[in-house]
Amino acid sequence: MKEILLIFIPALTLVPTAVAAALAMRKISSTALDGMTRQPEIAAQLFTSMLVSLALVEALVIYSLVVALMLAAKV
Amino acid sequence: MSATVVRYLPYIVVVNFLLVATLLVVLGRLATARPLKELPDGRQNAAEAVLDWFVAQARSIHPESVTLIAPFLATLFLLILFSNLLAILPVPILNIPPTSYYSGPLALAVIAVVGVIVICAKMRGGRAAVKHIFWPNPLQLVAEASHTLSLSLRLYGNIAGELLVASLATQAAPYGIPLIIYTLGLIPASVQPIVFTLLTVNFLATAVPAQGQPRGHPGGPIARAP
Repeated sequence: MKEILLIFIPALTLVPTAVAAALAMRKISSTALDGMTRQPEIAAQLFTSMLVSLALVEALVIYSLVVALMLAAKV
Repeated sequence: MSATVVRYLPYIVVVNFLLVATLLVVLGRLATARPLKELPDGRQNAAEAVLDWFVAQARSIHPESVTLIAPFLATLFLLILFSNLLAILPVPILNIPPTSYYSGPLALAVIAVVGVIVICAKMRGGRAAVKHIFWPNPLQLVAEASHTLSLSLRLYGNIAGELLVASLATQAAPYGIPLIIYTLGLIPASVQPIVFTLLTVNFLATAVPAQGQPRGHPGGPIARAP
């Protein structure tokens, strides 16, 4: 039983972060697309800003992935 | 990957990086082999189309230092892009992207962060560069280290993750499905160089404020978030 629980620990570190990041990315993308359709003339600038914002959110998931991989290696 | 490949992976990464660098040098030489014309055509047109975006980014940071900033950004971008695209080559050893092994992205991130400081020193002098590292307090040094970590981990996580998913899919269903995964892998492979370059632009914009603007507010398309 303990072994099975230990296997799930890395997954449990990753899942909440991934869910939270998905929600944040949804907000970023929808707001950016909203802005792009309202003002197509600044679409290129909004796109680059959106990419940077998405990358910053995505970094958190990757930190979590690294921690999960380290935990998996220890388990 | 077989045990032999895993054993020699660090060397494979270096060799693949060198191959990509050689390819880029050859492409650069080919693009500028003929005398440059005022009205570009053919190769010169293609090369200028690629460089245009970097020149625009460099101009948004510091319009007078485009020749210093744009080549730095373009080199980082093209090296990462071509390294990522190695994954789609149908050649066994050659198709290991150097960015999928942590040393590769870490080296690129160190080059980006140190390059930002060197460009800052060239444009504003050594004292300004030291001030950039230690101002407003020495903890800024930790921020520089965290920039290195975040840049490298982001690139590594995306490319290595994509490769891991592709190899798992290949084990589970050898025909058809890996093709879809590899095709989807082209998205992070082409988006990550843009992200890496844009974040470097962001770091540069905070290190080298545009003339007449206060530090930390570079203006242009990618203003740092408050």
